[in-house]
Amino acid sequence: MLLEIQNLSKVYGVSCGECLDLTGVADDSCICPVCDSVVAMNRVSLSLDGKEVLGIVGESGSGKSTLLQLIYQDQCPDNGRIFYNGFCDRHGVPLNIFEASVSECSVLRNKEMSMIYQNPRMGLNYLFSAGGNIAEKIIGAGERSYEVVRNRVIELMGRLELPTSRVDNYPDTFSGGQQQRIQIAKALSSSPKLLLLDEPTTGLDLSVQAKLLDLIKELQKEMGFAMIIVSHDLGVINHLTDVTMVMKHGCLVEYGLTDQILEDPQQPYTQLLVSSIL
Amino acid sequence: MKLDVRQIEKQFVLHNRGGVRVTGFSDISFNVARGELLALVGPSGAGKSSVLKAIYRTYLVNGGSILFHRQDGTVVDLAVCTESSVLELRQREIGFVTQFLKVLPRISALQAVAAPLLELGEEEDAARRRAAELLAFLNIREELFDISPLTFSGGEQQRVNIARGVIAPKELLLLDEPTASLDEESSSRVLKLLGNLKKQNIAMIGIFHDQRKVDQVADHCYRILREA
Amino acid sequence: MNESVFAFMDEDAKKEIRRTLLKAVAIPGYTVPFASREMPVARGWGTGGLQITLSLLLKRDCIKVIDQGCDGSVNAVNIRDFIASVSGVKQTFSTREATIIQTRHRIPEHKLAEGQILVFQVPYPEVLTTVEPDTEKQKQMHADSDYSKLWVLLYEDTSQFGDSRISNRYPVEVEDHYVMDPSPIPKYDIPRLNNSPALLLFGAGREKRIYAIPPYTKVEPLKFSDRPFKVETFAGKRCGRCGADNVFLDEVRQGTTSLYFCSDTEYCDSILTEQGDVTGNTESE
Repeated sequence: MLLEIQNLSKVYGVSCGECLDLTGVADDSCICPVCDSVVAMNRVSLSLDGKEVLGIVGESGSGKSTLLQLIYQDQCPDNGRIFYNGFCDRHGVPLNIFEASVSECSVLRNKEMSMIYQNPRMGLNYLFSAGGNIAEKIIGAGERSYEVVRNRVIELMGRLELPTSRVDNYPDTFSGGQQQRIQIAKALSSSPKLLLLDEPTTGLDLSVQAKLLDLIKELQKEMGFAMIIVSHDLGVINHLTDVTMVMKHGCLVEYGLTDQILEDPQQPYTQLLVSSIL
Repeated sequence: MKLDVRQIEKQFVLHNRGGVRVTGFSDISFNVARGELLALVGPSGAGKSSVLKAIYRTYLVNGGSILFHRQDGTVVDLAVCTESSVLELRQREIGFVTQFLKVLPRISALQAVAAPLLELGEEEDAARRRAAELLAFLNIREELFDISPLTFSGGEQQRVNIARGVIAPKELLLLDEPTASLDEESSSRVLKLLGNLKKQNIAMIGIFHDQRKVDQVADHCYRILREA
Repeated sequence: MNESVFAFMDEDAKKEIRRTLLKAVAIPGYTVPFASREMPVARGWGTGGLQITLSLLLKRDCIKVIDQGCDGSVNAVNIRDFIASVSGVKQTFSTREATIIQTRHRIPEHKLAEGQILVFQVPYPEVLTTVEPDTEKQKQMHADSDYSKLWVLLYEDTSQFGDSRISNRYPVEVEDHYVMDPSPIPKYDIPRLNNSPALLLFGAGREKRIYAIPPYTKVEPLKFSDRPFKVETFAGKRCGRCGADNVFLDEVRQGTTSLYFCSDTEYCDSILTEQGDVTGNTESE
C-alpha cells in the first residue's frame, strides 16, 4: 500500500461539533445548518496501491482539490490520518503525516510526491527560467553537482517534448501547453512515487490536451509512479485512471474500478453524473 | 478448474427513473477448465454480455460467487475481492476481448496490436513483427498497418481487436462475439486462432450466435434464457 | 556628557543586546530579532554594529573601526571618535592591537586572533529576500534548511554566465544548516569567515537583526560540487604604495589609466613600516 487515508475531515469555520453529522449527500449540503461552517472533507477513507491511477470526480466544491491539498500537506485536516509507505518515526512505527515535523514532511514533498496544479502559475516560479524551475526540485532533493542538475533538466525537457534550446527562457515566454509541460517536467524531476494532478489539462485546447494526456500516461507506464487525478471531465478519467472515487459535499459517494463506475454506477449521484456525459 | 461461477445474479437499479429494477441475469452457474472453451449462447438481451462483464468486474453482481483459480494456486472471488486485486488480475491473468474496438485515434493498428507485448517487456522490433504476422494471418492488408484502426470497416476493426486480445494471451480470456460481423474466411481464421489458444492451455468463455461455430470450437455450451 | 553612563547605552539595553548575542552565538547563522535603539547616527549608517560594539565594550578594550578597509574615512573616524568619547577606551588603527573591530564591508588583511571580536555592519540581514519576499515563508525555509531557491539563482547564473554574478553579500552556509548574508564584503573575504579564530558578530540596526559566527565554525559559500568558488583576482597588479600583490586592491581611475591601492589602509601602512619607508599619512594616537 502506497497511501492510506483514514477518516479525513476538514471544516472551514468554527465547527459546532456536529457539522460532520448534519451535512453530506443525504442532507444535500456541505454547509452546517447549526453553525454555517463549510465541510470540505467529511470522513473520507481511501487507500492507493503502488502503481495505481486514481481518479477523483465530482462537481465544483465537492472537495476534490481539498483532498489533493491535504495529501500534499498544503492544508491541515481537522481530523484523520494519512500514512505513506515507508514514512516512519525513528522507531520504525508508521507516522501520520500530520503528526510529523515540517522537516520530516519535506522529504515527502520534495522527493516522494509531486503536485501538478491546474494553473501553471501555482506550480512554477515565473522569476526563474524554465530550466531553473525544473532544477529547483532536483536541487531540493539534494543534488549538488551543476553538471548532473543541468543534464537532468535538459533530459527532462526533451522527454516532455519541450525545445531544449529554450532551457534558459522564462516560463511566460512559453505557450500555455508548454508551461504545463514545464510544470510536469519539474514534478517528475525528483522521480516521485506519487504524482498528484489537479485538473491538469483543463483550459488547454483539445489537441494539446490529448497529446498531454497521452504523454502523462506514457510516462506513468515508463516510470511506474502512482497518480491521483482530479478532474470533472469523465473522458479524462476514463482515459487515464484504473480506479475512481466520486465525491459530493465533501463525502465519498462511490469508489470502484473506473469501468465499473462508468458502466454500472451504483449510487443515484453517480448515475446522474454518468448520464450527463455528452 | 480455472473459473467456477456459482449462482450469480444481477439487477440494475435505475435511481433516476424512480428506482426501477431491471434484471440483468439470475441464477447463472457454470465452470470452465484450463484449455477449454465454454460457449455462452442464448437470445439477444438474455444477459450474455452482462455475465462476461460481471466476471471482469465491470458489473457488480448482487449475489453469488465467481471463483477464479490463480496461477499461484490460490482462489479469489472476483465478485467481492478488492479493486487492487482485480487490477492485478486484469494485468496478468484475465483478458477481455470486447465486441467493439476501443483504442485512441492517435494509435496505428500495428501499435495497438503490439502494445500488450510491449507491456510485458517484449522488445519493440520483435513485438511489431509478431503483431504484423498476426494481422496478416487475420487477412488485414499490410497497407493498413500504420493507419488508425478506427478508420477501418467493422469487420477489420473486429479482427484488430481480436489480434490485440490474443497476442499475449492471458490465462482466462473473455470473448464477446469474436466472430460477429466477420465473413466465412475471416471467421474460420479466428476460430483457428482460438483452437491454438486451447492448446496453450488458455481457458476461454465466448459468446456465439452461430451454432455451427459453437460445434466447431467449443468444449461445452451454456445456454442463458431471457428472463420471463 | 558621558560621565553618567558608560558607553552611551543604559544597562538594560545592553543586557538585551548581550542576551540576543548569546542566542545568536548559540545558533550560528540564525538571525535573531532585537530591539534596535535610537543611536545618535541615522539608521543605515552602522547603528547595528554600533549597538553591538557599545554593549560589549569594557574599559580595557581597544577599538578599531574601518569603512571598506579604511581607518581614515569620515564614517570610520566619526564612529570611532564617538565610541571613544562615550567610553574612554583606547582607539587604534592596528588590527593586531584591537580587541574589537567594527567594520563596514571588509575583513582586515592581517589574520585575526583568538579573543578578538569582529563586528559587521549589515544593511540587509535576510539572505532569502531576493528569492522569497514573504517573511513567514522565509522563516519556514530557514527552519527546513530549504535553500533550493538560492541554488536556482546560482544554477541560472552558471548556465548563462558561467559563474555566479554575485560580487558581494555572497550567501554562506553556516555549520551545514543556516544560510546567511555575510554583509556586503567582497567574495575575496568569504574564505576568511571559515574556521575564524575570532568571534564574528553581525548587526543590522535598521532591520533589527543580530546574528553570529562563533570562533572555529564551518562557513562555506553556496557552490556546486563541480564548480570552484572564484574570488576576485588581481593578477599582475600590485599596490601603488606598498607594492603588496596578495591583498584586496581598490582601483583608482586617473584619466585613462588605473592605479591600485590596498583596500586595507592599516595593512598597507604596516608593510611600509616594515620596509622603513613610511610615506603615507599615518596617524597614531
